[in-house]
Amino acid sequence: MDFILSSLIFSPLLAALVLLLMPARLQKTAKVVALLGSLVQLVLAIVLYFRFDGAAAANGQQGYQFVEKLNWIGFSLGSLGRFQIEYFVGVDGISISMVLLTGIIGVIGVISSWTIKKNVKGYFLLYLLLLTSVMGCFLALDFFLFYLFFEFMLLPMYFLIGIWGGPKREYAAIKFFIYTLVGSLFILIVMIGLYTSVIDPLATAAQLGMLQTSGINPDTILQVQQSLQQNVIQGADLVRTFSIPAMMDPANFIPGSLLHVLSGTMLWDLPIRFIAFLLLFAGFAIKVPSVPVHTWLPDAHVEAPTPISVLLAAILLKVGGYGLIRIVYPIFPDAGAYFAVLVGGLGVLSIIYGALCALAMNDLKKLIAYSSVSHMGFVLLGLASLTSEGVNGAIYMMFSHGIISAMLFLVVGVIYDRAHDRMILNFRGLAKRMPAYTTFVVIAFFASLGLPGFSGFIAELLVLVGGFSSPDITGLLPRWLTIVAVFGLLLAAAYYLWALQRMFFGKYWIFPELREKATMSDLNAREYLMLVPLAILAFVFGIFPHLLLDKIGMTAQGFTELVLRSGQEQLQMVLSTIVK
Amino acid sequence: MKEQAALLSEKINAILTGAGSLLPELLLAGFFLLLVTLDLFRSKTIKQLLPWLALTGLFSAFLLQILGGYTSGGVQFLNLLRSDGLARYGGILFSAAGIFTILLSLQSRFLENLKEGKGEYYALILMLVLGLNLMAKSINLIMVFLAIEVVSIASYILTLTLKHEKRAVEAGLKYILYGTLSAGVMLYGMSFFYGFTGSLNYTEGTFWQALLQADYLLVTIATILLFAGFFFKISAAPFHFWVPDVYQGAPMPIVALFSTGPKMAGIIVILRFVAAFSDPAVASYFDDILWFLGIAALATLVIGNFTALWQKTPRRLMAYSSVSHAGFLLMALLAFGANYSSGVLFYLSVLLFMNYGIFLFLQITEENFGVTRLEHFTGLGYKVPFLGVMALLYLLSLTGLPPLAGFMGKLLIFSNVWEAYSSSGQTMLLVLLVAGVLLTGVALFYYIRIPYYLFFKRNYTEENLVISLSNKLLLGFFALPLLVLFFKPDLLLHWIEKLLAQTL
Repeated sequence: MDFILSSLIFSPLLAALVLLLMPARLQKTAKVVALLGSLVQLVLAIVLYFRFDGAAAANGQQGYQFVEKLNWIGFSLGSLGRFQIEYFVGVDGISISMVLLTGIIGVIGVISSWTIKKNVKGYFLLYLLLLTSVMGCFLALDFFLFYLFFEFMLLPMYFLIGIWGGPKREYAAIKFFIYTLVGSLFILIVMIGLYTSVIDPLATAAQLGMLQTSGINPDTILQVQQSLQQNVIQGADLVRTFSIPAMMDPANFIPGSLLHVLSGTMLWDLPIRFIAFLLLFAGFAIKVPSVPVHTWLPDAHVEAPTPISVLLAAILLKVGGYGLIRIVYPIFPDAGAYFAVLVGGLGVLSIIYGALCALAMNDLKKLIAYSSVSHMGFVLLGLASLTSEGVNGAIYMMFSHGIISAMLFLVVGVIYDRAHDRMILNFRGLAKRMPAYTTFVVIAFFASLGLPGFSGFIAELLVLVGGFSSPDITGLLPRWLTIVAVFGLLLAAAYYLWALQRMFFGKYWIFPELREKATMSDLNAREYLMLVPLAILAFVFGIFPHLLLDKIGMTAQGFTELVLRSGQEQLQMVLSTIVK
Repeated sequence: MKEQAALLSEKINAILTGAGSLLPELLLAGFFLLLVTLDLFRSKTIKQLLPWLALTGLFSAFLLQILGGYTSGGVQFLNLLRSDGLARYGGILFSAAGIFTILLSLQSRFLENLKEGKGEYYALILMLVLGLNLMAKSINLIMVFLAIEVVSIASYILTLTLKHEKRAVEAGLKYILYGTLSAGVMLYGMSFFYGFTGSLNYTEGTFWQALLQADYLLVTIATILLFAGFFFKISAAPFHFWVPDVYQGAPMPIVALFSTGPKMAGIIVILRFVAAFSDPAVASYFDDILWFLGIAALATLVIGNFTALWQKTPRRLMAYSSVSHAGFLLMALLAFGANYSSGVLFYLSVLLFMNYGIFLFLQITEENFGVTRLEHFTGLGYKVPFLGVMALLYLLSLTGLPPLAGFMGKLLIFSNVWEAYSSSGQTMLLVLLVAGVLLTGVALFYYIRIPYYLFFKRNYTEENLVISLSNKLLLGFFALPLLVLFFKPDLLLHWIEKLLAQTL
């Protein structure tokens, strides 16, 4: 066992500790320490990316690589059995792309934060904590561990927006905090329900003393699961677990527990498993964010400082989509199949509504925030289709959107730095003054609207192919839904090109009141350093999609098969309990 | 005559043999008398010795209970008291609360400047802790009443410590009025129970068997009357009206004590009372009582959390926060089952550290920096970063966010309620669970207002603010368990389980 995953998670935390012990006046050193912390994380992420074996990563217990598993908290509650929380991390095709993305954006964010002046030490401390918790989220395979990192993300973010943000920062910070906290409370309810219902078969076997007599063999787990379902194991011998892979197997659910497939418990005329799915979905949908719970995002983006906007759009939103793929669908595949139209429909609604809002915005940053809402809608659509292309596309979309949205927010940051304003109508003909800047704006805009050759195109293509083939292959989504989604592409072209035309073309002019303070110089070296790698990445992953798809493919394939198969089976079982 | 004499000597014997298990209480009573006596002397050195003497008393009681060699177990004192693991763990918590109260008092400038009554102050803390210990041990309704009254009388006087201030007088008066009213109501309820059963030993099976025969409506009413007294002590709705005023008027260490000690003792008393409901026959017969408790828990949660939203002073904010925690604990008590008490006790232990931490923070800011309203916190987080960060930890733990022990406590209680719901299928439990979880979101909204002023707002005065080293150490001391108990809650849980299993 090597500790590459733990090093990935905790290298920024280590840097944060170093920072904590440093005197506050060493501002330059603080920046360097933060940069080093994030660079180490990036290097480890790249190493992991190359060492990760995409072909071996089919879904299921065996699919996780570089697994680290340690007992963390365990206590017995008498007749209720033992409770067990593990430090359990691993990487598969779904998380590898997110890990790489987090590594890249982490470094870009530090470079972008170089101009921060207010309380530098505190800023980078929170920044590094944020990186640790995001990385932890993407690698955790224990629900408790995941939840810990998921919740812990809120706090640094709250302060980063609330202290270093724009004029309405306090309002935006508290709105962000409350929205996501409510979301995570929904998740908490289901988490409690799940861990009280699910056992760890291997640990239970150990508790029963089966391992001493026969040792571990492949049958042990099966044997335990059988005797569990026949209700012959005593309550005190059950080892309840937070392990996500254990939760994915319906045979690990204690018979008679509320979330068991055959529990038959109804709540508001829905099986309780469906309610649990909806709660989890709501929790993660707030983070994605999906319409109608997206309203915190524009506020947070507008008020957050540029690097934090970059982090928020590029990696924090991905935690929502990632949670859906890692937790919601595999654990509740039955409800996933049942609510496919709802999830896909919300995705399409986000695509169209986000795009329409973006079209109406005068603030460039708000426009891009809404374009994020629109693009993250594709993730929901691809996922809901439950086709291999759709799921691949959803993951690809998260990665690609991470790269491109980082670029977009950096580009906005550039103009805000110079003019302290980013109203579209206050600028005209910037291309004449800032040709290099305009080139990158054009690249970012075109990459985002899905021009072939950029990563966004591959992602959207995969999602749409998945959506269109869904009626034939999985029969989950109606075809018209995907047709509507295509209009989102059209709208994206409209809002980007319109913004481009208004701000960058024509005769150079900026709003008179801005002229005194504004110095409209072209990009400096630091900005090149951020924008060039991102542009290259958007190109590379647009032209060589197999670089990522090879890593994702097998896992996504396994994921769809598992979710579809067990989804249909379990759905039949759940529905059969209703008829009675 | 001879018979009576024999009976008497038998009873005296029973008392004497049982006395061994009351060692911590006897110790506290002894130190109380010692303090009262020494307070009569005018010598300055003796007066300065008093807090340390009180501390010694509490600390020896604390050690005695932790080591636990004294106990003979079982029921003593003619079926009045029981020294079981529950009482012992309660006693440990109360002694710790007493120790923390004195530590906070030693840091307080207001108390230092007090002209008279300092000796009484420390003696009464001992008396209060003694009463709390007795509450936790009582298995007889009259004994419960007496113990509660001991606690109450000590509380009334302690509230009035700063009697030159108007707010203290107002608080004391309100407290006494509400307190005597609820005590009367409780006593009235107890008399019903005696009438129905001819017994006051409410933890015994026969007591409940007799109640099953009695008039259903009257028993329900009597229970509600009885709970008036308990609810008053744990500050649950609708008997929480005294809370904001008393929190406003009493010295900060005493507020911290009120927010933990009587609440914990009250919860243990209720725990013993509702333990009878783990018998399905009792539970199904008296399900109206369960409904009453459920509604009270819900009302307490809702009132506490939502009223806290509108508060403008930190003391009142913490008052309603304390009400909401009472609701939370009541909810936990409803999750009957063999294993609910370890979760509750864990939560109580965490509450102890969180509350003393936050009240120490409030004491420092109030006495050193003149903070009496939330706005006065403005920018303090930058001036004294250590203080700000510690306050943040306490508040997040109170909200119940990871990685702090408050989250673990809530998680355990939610799990218990979920288990109870899945085994009993009572909708009320689910409603309580959902309400409890969602109100955490509301709680965040008011708790976060303190860090909001501490860190988001800037205060552009050039004053240089410092806090003393002893305060810093204490702040760290209260915060450390919050982190440790998040990452290794099993350490404490194992110990609680061991204690609970030991003596029954």
